[in-house]
Amino acid sequence: MVAKYVPPVQSRAGQIFDTIVLLALVFIALFLPLWLSIAVPSRVEKLPEGVSYVAAEDGTRTWTGLSWEVLGQNPTMQAQWEKLGHSMDSAAEIITQPFDYTIDYLGIALTGVVILGYFIFMLAMSEREYKQVIAEKFD
Amino acid sequence: MWEVFEVLAWAISALLVGWMVWDAMRVGQAHSENELLSSREGVDDLFGDSNRKRS
Amino acid sequence: MTDQVVAQGQPKSINLLKVLGPAHVWALGVGIVLVGEFMGWNYAVGKGGAYGALIACWVIGLLYTCVAMIDSEITSTVAAAGGQYAQAKHTVGPLMAFNVGLYLVLAYTMLEAADIQVAGQLVQIGALDMLASAPVNWEPYTILCLAILAWLNYRGVFMTLTVNFVITAAAFASIVLLFFAVKPWSPGEILQHQELLTGLPYGWLGVIAALHFGIWFYLGIEGTCQAAEEVRSPGRALPLGTMSGMITLLIAAALTWYVAVGVLPWEYVGWDLELAPLYDAAKVVSLPLQILLFVGTIFSAIASANGCINDASRAWFSMGRDRYLPAWFGAVHPRYRTPFRAIIFLIPIAAIFALQIPLAQIITFSILSGLLGYTFMPINMYKFRKKWPLGSIRRGYVHPFHPLPAVVLLTLCITTYFAVYLGYGRQLLAMMAFYIVVSLWFAFHRYKYVRRGDQFTMAWPRPRGY
Repeated sequence: MVAKYVPPVQSRAGQIFDTIVLLALVFIALFLPLWLSIAVPSRVEKLPEGVSYVAAEDGTRTWTGLSWEVLGQNPTMQAQWEKLGHSMDSAAEIITQPFDYTIDYLGIALTGVVILGYFIFMLAMSEREYKQVIAEKFD
Repeated sequence: MWEVFEVLAWAISALLVGWMVWDAMRVGQAHSENELLSSREGVDDLFGDSNRKRS
Repeated sequence: MTDQVVAQGQPKSINLLKVLGPAHVWALGVGIVLVGEFMGWNYAVGKGGAYGALIACWVIGLLYTCVAMIDSEITSTVAAAGGQYAQAKHTVGPLMAFNVGLYLVLAYTMLEAADIQVAGQLVQIGALDMLASAPVNWEPYTILCLAILAWLNYRGVFMTLTVNFVITAAAFASIVLLFFAVKPWSPGEILQHQELLTGLPYGWLGVIAALHFGIWFYLGIEGTCQAAEEVRSPGRALPLGTMSGMITLLIAAALTWYVAVGVLPWEYVGWDLELAPLYDAAKVVSLPLQILLFVGTIFSAIASANGCINDASRAWFSMGRDRYLPAWFGAVHPRYRTPFRAIIFLIPIAAIFALQIPLAQIITFSILSGLLGYTFMPINMYKFRKKWPLGSIRRGYVHPFHPLPAVVLLTLCITTYFAVYLGYGRQLLAMMAFYIVVSLWFAFHRYKYVRRGDQFTMAWPRPRGY
């Protein structure tokens, strides 16, 4: 017979404190990186040849050399953009920002190690706790 | 017109959330913590066998 | 077994109500997910082009078929409010269970935040498009939507899910109607696939990258087993509801893709700030369709947020009940029989993300938490069959070809992590940092408040090898 583990009873203040810690973690790890625009999608600007723009202070762009053809849009696509309420200029701001999938091997390796390490730690720790659970339940 | 909708939306939201918080506090005072926390994982009723046993 | 525990401890125990049938299970599963056809999946087009998104839709369909098979077998045996969380407690161990519980809470809370953001912003877009009014603020409607749904959930699960069944069916009908309205039998008239479809803009690497948002076509279907404790006969209703839900989604995903890329240029569909592609597709075609899809999109978002509040709060509640979280959250409302404190607690989290974070990134958090949960499933299945081989306990459903689904699932999960890394690598690391820190917090601080043997609630024999 394994001695039954009797957990301490958590005080009301302790419960509130633990809840605050969890909330703080959600906001520091998840909310802040996005809110401060640190973790943003890796889009880059890629202008077609001969196309350039000058951005005014309020962010509006004045394009030169722009046409639907250099943006790779055929007449059907052009018609749909216009039906959606887009001008050539506003469509250009979307089309000229593709994703950048340059492979960074070190980054991949690092991310892989982090994910793998997380799972290994979690499974090892769980196994240890699980044995206690089974022992207390069945012995 | 939209301003009225907006004010209404905020007001109704505040009312509903306020009611929930009020009700939760009322329940917390009217019932003991032991009673509120008394539920247990209902894993025994898997195939509907024990439906009659339990109310 | 559990009856005895209840009888000894509390003669007057308050439990969740058992009122749900297979149709509710279908509504809970599909209701949560169907919104993924109205918004969010389109970012897969942005990451890999139109064909990339289609391939992603199929490959991820395979991932979810594996998920549904594994989940149905284990859920037909472990029926408890926490779903996968309760499974993890019995098959792997407490720390895994804590993490799985958080995956569920975050996946559903972020999905809920995305839903209410879309509902609010759609009011803004609709007012501009159809009533030609001056720009209106979307925030009040987002919050209103959240408040009403939280209130419904607070008041009781049966009414909530009956509402869900009706609006989910209506939203599904709007996709089917749109499909027939664009006359798929005469290509070139409305649908312009010939002219609008391009090759793979990023090659095959883009196809892999698209797997990331391919998840969004189906994310949440595994939510069916969240309601296990409230289902009348879960051993039968859960596999039935899950499988029929999966079929519904495969059909809806195919129709959605076909219509959207046949009407809109792919760069438009895949843009990070594009909110509702099906609504936009309808807008290009005609005003009645635009109104129909406006209603369909809002309905799907409401149904989804509704199911998410239900699921997230039940997972949070289950963890409170086991002392994985402060015990205070494990309370059941004596009158409505709902996890009322968990429902209230999660409202501000959903509200803040919905108001402050762009849609594609909220969705990515939801997807990542979902993905971590799917990675847990092969481990879960392997341990489940090893500790309780077939025949050792009663199973409502046994899935075929074990261990093939588990192996396929694990392989697809690893590929999808890579897909998220492409384009959203920093967000992936932020999410991992969160789970690592909370795991340490749980293992070295929180677990001391947990009763050991009581976590194992099933009336099963001792697991083999322990």
